[in-house]
Amino acid sequence: MRIVVVPSTLALLPRYASASDPIPELRAAVHAATAWVLEDGPVGGVAGSPAGLEVARHLVGDPVEAVPGLLVAAGGSAMRTENAPGAFDERAEGYDAVVGKALATGDLEALSRIDVPLAEELWAGEDALVLAALGRRLAGTTRVLDVQVDYDDAPYGVQYWVVRWQCES
Amino acid sequence: MTLKLGRHSFADDATLMMAIVNRTPDSFYDKGATWAEDKAFERVVQVVDEGAEIVDIGGIKAAPGVFIDPDEEKGRVVDFVARVRDAFPGLVISVDTWRAEVGAAVCEAGADVLNDAWGGADPGLVDVAASYGAAIICTHTGGVTPRTRPFRIEYDDVVKSAVADTIAYAERAVLAGVARESVVIDPAHDFGKNTFHSLELTRRLDEMVATGWPVLVSLSNKDFVGESLDLPVGERLTGTLAATAVCALAGARIYRVHEVVETRQTVDMVNTIAGRRLPQRAIRGLA
Repeated sequence: MRIVVVPSTLALLPRYASASDPIPELRAAVHAATAWVLEDGPVGGVAGSPAGLEVARHLVGDPVEAVPGLLVAAGGSAMRTENAPGAFDERAEGYDAVVGKALATGDLEALSRIDVPLAEELWAGEDALVLAALGRRLAGTTRVLDVQVDYDDAPYGVQYWVVRWQCES
Repeated sequence: MTLKLGRHSFADDATLMMAIVNRTPDSFYDKGATWAEDKAFERVVQVVDEGAEIVDIGGIKAAPGVFIDPDEEKGRVVDFVARVRDAFPGLVISVDTWRAEVGAAVCEAGADVLNDAWGGADPGLVDVAASYGAAIICTHTGGVTPRTRPFRIEYDDVVKSAVADTIAYAERAVLAGVARESVVIDPAHDFGKNTFHSLELTRRLDEMVATGWPVLVSLSNKDFVGESLDLPVGERLTGTLAATAVCALAGARIYRVHEVVETRQTVDMVNTIAGRRLPQRAIRGLA
């Protein structure tokens, strides 16, 4: 089973397009990972906050029941710099490091234990709930066999990841 | 409809900056600053750098003054057009002339557009445009003689007059063989008009746009701006840009200007507000 995690940024939506893309590298990584998950056919599920679900449905359409494959639209903190949406919080980098490591190693247990109250303070509460639920849902039912991190950066003070997981089916 | 200006084509939604380049010793705004050929060429280099898609080269000022015969006019513009053509193959070259004889000579030298600011005073100009595959700007002057100031001219409805006359001129150009996509109309602010007429044309520019012909506006630093604000030449940029914004919202396509950068920003901002152009780079509130 293939699982892809992409950010929930609204800048991925066509209705917010610019003449000059403010996130060209992220968008390219998102589209490459989305194409990879769709190589196996339609995805069986999407997950995200309301914004994340809109992004996910834009990328892969409506999920088809009873097939594997999952696209999760969720990211990290929004307080990495002074100009970040939530301004700077010194705890943001550490939070993102913990979540980023869990994603990069396919550590489902660690994901399920994300510090959601801290995430809420770092403007990442909804996405933290999504990622924690992903960890809980998969832990004990599958294992992550292979991981590819396509993107890991915070260009606007908001942490984005694009991660591909190849899981046991 | 694609806009074809001589050698160059532009998409339906493109707006174009036409920078004024005077090869005159006495034009009202620059007062001879680019009279010397090298100064005029420097002006071309500058406006191309600023993003102008078109230069409009003129050898005779619009206002009354010393008579310039066709040979003198050609001496001012023909070789200069050839020099600009050679240096800037991708630039649209327009020449501001009403004379067919001059039009033929500049088209031979590489001009793409004949900007007939005097509304068809020489009926042979359309034939020249047709034979060279050039575009033509069809202006409305109310029928005045070239290089005369308006004096107590009245219209029943200046906008209807501008629409009727420019459409008639446009159709005449097409009948003469000018490609339909190479015809532009221009209400010609201040030409054969008092300030109230030019203001009404600005206010109702959408009626010209609704004809379907691409509309050029030439507003830059003109007297209707100066009289509206009681400001002399040199202090009319803000007023010019306000008028530009109104015309851009109505859908004007080509802007004949002295100040390229300021006008481009104004037109782009208005078209972005109108939803006809994407923001250049928007991330605020989206990241």
